[in-house]
Amino acid sequence: MGRFILRRVLQGLLVVVVAAFLIFLATFALGDPFASSGEKAVPPEIAALNRAKFGMDQPLLIQFANYLGNLAIGDMGVDFDQRRPVSELILDVLPNTIVLGLVAVLFLILFGVSAGILAAVRRYSFWDAFVTVLTTVMIGIPVFVLAIFLVANVSGVGPFPPVPRSFTVDVPWYFDVLLPAFTLAVIEAAFVARLMRGSMLEVLRADYVRTARAKGLPERTVIGRHAVRNSLLPVVTFVGLTLGSYVGGAIITETVFQYNGVGYLLSRAITTNNAPIITAVVIYTVVAYVLLSMVVDVLYAYLDPRIRLN
Amino acid sequence: MRGRRAAASAIALTAVVGLVLTGCSQQSNTGASGGAAQAGQGFPETPDPEQVPGKPGGVFRMGLTEPTAIDPYNVQESEGALVAKQLFTGLVQVRPNGDEYPGVADTWTSNDNCTQWTFNLKPGQKFSDGTPLTSADFKRGWERTTAKASASEVAYHLNQVQGYEQMQAGTATTLSGVNATNPNTLAVTLSEPNCEFELRTAHPALSPVPASAGAADNTTYNDLPLGNGPFRMDGPWQHDRGIKLVRNDNYTAGPKANLDAVEITITPADTGADAEYNGFRNGQFDWARMPTPVQSQARDEFDPQGKWISKKTAGINYLSVQVTKPPMNSVAARKAVSMAIDRAAITAGVFQGGQAPATAIVPPSFPQAYQEGVCDACTFNPDEAKRLAQEAGFQPGTELNFQFNTGGGHEEWTAAVRQQIEQNLGIKVNYSGVPFRDLLDNQQAPDATGIYRSAWGADYPTPANFLGPLLDTKSIGAASPTEPALGNNRGRYSNPEFDQLLARAAATKDEAQRDDLYKQAEQIAIGRDLAIIPMFQRQQYRLAATDRFGNIGMDFFENPTLDTITLK
Repeated sequence: MGRFILRRVLQGLLVVVVAAFLIFLATFALGDPFASSGEKAVPPEIAALNRAKFGMDQPLLIQFANYLGNLAIGDMGVDFDQRRPVSELILDVLPNTIVLGLVAVLFLILFGVSAGILAAVRRYSFWDAFVTVLTTVMIGIPVFVLAIFLVANVSGVGPFPPVPRSFTVDVPWYFDVLLPAFTLAVIEAAFVARLMRGSMLEVLRADYVRTARAKGLPERTVIGRHAVRNSLLPVVTFVGLTLGSYVGGAIITETVFQYNGVGYLLSRAITTNNAPIITAVVIYTVVAYVLLSMVVDVLYAYLDPRIRLN
Repeated sequence: MRGRRAAASAIALTAVVGLVLTGCSQQSNTGASGGAAQAGQGFPETPDPEQVPGKPGGVFRMGLTEPTAIDPYNVQESEGALVAKQLFTGLVQVRPNGDEYPGVADTWTSNDNCTQWTFNLKPGQKFSDGTPLTSADFKRGWERTTAKASASEVAYHLNQVQGYEQMQAGTATTLSGVNATNPNTLAVTLSEPNCEFELRTAHPALSPVPASAGAADNTTYNDLPLGNGPFRMDGPWQHDRGIKLVRNDNYTAGPKANLDAVEITITPADTGADAEYNGFRNGQFDWARMPTPVQSQARDEFDPQGKWISKKTAGINYLSVQVTKPPMNSVAARKAVSMAIDRAAITAGVFQGGQAPATAIVPPSFPQAYQEGVCDACTFNPDEAKRLAQEAGFQPGTELNFQFNTGGGHEEWTAAVRQQIEQNLGIKVNYSGVPFRDLLDNQQAPDATGIYRSAWGADYPTPANFLGPLLDTKSIGAASPTEPALGNNRGRYSNPEFDQLLARAAATKDEAQRDDLYKQAEQIAIGRDLAIIPMFQRQQYRLAATDRFGNIGMDFFENPTLDTITLK
């Protein structure tokens, strides 16, 4: 087990460094960020001062080495525009993104698992067909279409406060989370439902379910205690990886809803070519994803003894 | 702020969506406000509000895209200026129409050639926390802006002050040209004559700062600047959420503000105009920009209610021309291209009448120096254009490069310009849209040819701030023709006669004489040589809650006049 974890950690580190280098190359290739201010040319001497300030007058490899060195001690530099510490920028919005991801995961577990169970238990019934059609539609809707639709038609209706609103207007935090979390969860919820259905059908055919029924256990116990629990294995993996991608920042959803999270931070940084933020957020995303997939692997090994033995 | 907000603030032409030249422009003809604007006029300007006596009270709410900085050392775009001008008052202030009036200084004088300036401060000046303010606080602010370590992108506003180079090079820690030994006067020595230097002191970069400001990288002060303006911060800047200002009851540079507070909600940079417009409609905001496609409709709706503000401001949209390289290296070629463009048709078709064709580079916001029609080639004349094109040696195979930047709402009108040039001159236009930074790179290159979309907004209310940066030889920013042009005169127009007129104007104390010299200079560069091609006047439209607030005007930076607004 220990060796297994160590190997995954080293693999993860390698992925992070390679990704960091690639994104560093890409942002560096954006050209000179200091030549102009708005429509105006910045005097060359001021542009040069700024380049020196951000170490951009050094060779690329040296810059990257410095960057990695600083990254190791948690220093991601300051951003090009406002010159605020990038680590602070990310830490400021990270809780929002984590909350959004958790609420979205809650949505997809609630919907996906129950719809999957329903479809599997009532196989070939109207409900099974209904779930199949519904999940097809859910997978088919582009995220940005759904997001824009919700912003345009739901905000300002009922309990949802209108967008935009003055920043001093206090509304309960969950109003700002519900719609984007729902948007975020839609596609994956459909996947979870189908995954759950398939997995349930397989389990329901298994010997131990037949044994349980033969013992005369009530159907509810058979489904609830034996079948569902064992069907959740593949779903746990999927949900874990999904949470990883959510916590990495949901760019489209956060941007459309102007939800102040990592994804929105990244999309703004991209539109303004703010390389320090882009680089840092992408590295963070990679780290988050690698970490979560590691946790999922370990958890899976813990849940399923067969994996450990291999 | 680097190459950003092209659409938001640096140019007048905000995004134009889905309006084709042949357009079925959906004008709801209510007839309430005199119908559509006449082609070639832009929507008529609205008069400045009648000043009503103020009374304390009221909270004014508005949307704003996130500024780069509100700390004066690096205030760059109009959004930053909006906040910084409420928090800080400089030596001199400018009215919405560009007239100057006393700020912290009540009088200012200069020697005959305008290289020695003395600003006399009003007595008893204070920062908002009650700390006394002296000339040393100005010296501190100017040095903080120009210090090498600050790497300020707006430090060049002080480039005429003696000692600026040493500060930027890091070889000095004080500005040698600024003397604050007498707490009540600030004596400034310039390295070159400038009889309008006092106008520069209205720029936020030249604000006074208290000792507590520390160095430019003091993040506490960056987000919570303490100044001497009509308002002060109510808690630190909540990045990407909002900024709250409250009245500064210790204001000593002029009459106190009336408003209790200003609530500034941060809106997204790319959809800010939409957000402000929607916010105004749903009663969240008291001031708003609007997306270009709804301008006409918004005017029909709000003008009759008196909530519509229309103003020509100190800016110009133009085509920059590479005057040293064929095919545009002759006056005939430039005038042919200019006369082949039907500005009025573009105004009516693409902008629904919301833009006015320009016939000069110095905008009408300077009535003393404005010369309507100084660009005689700015009128559409296809026959004359053809004749001039022949004179310039244009053939059917002649190729003209025309570049614009994508993402700024310029697709439509530039496409129309291209079509008109091809149609009326029978030449081939190599037309391309590139990101702004590439446009800049391509334009700066020594082998650049053709025409480029450009715009310019003034930093100070003087014609010199147009003629100098755009046309003076000094502003090319290249030591030789083989080097990139890093200045703002990227078309590389160079005319000693013109340069001399500007230099003479800078050293002329009499305002009328100065304006006359500006006029002569513009006659040469635009009237005679047409070194750049004027396209549209910069004009701004806003919605304002005039039913609840009085004295709402638009200031020189195109922001609401928060210091005079009062509850009705």
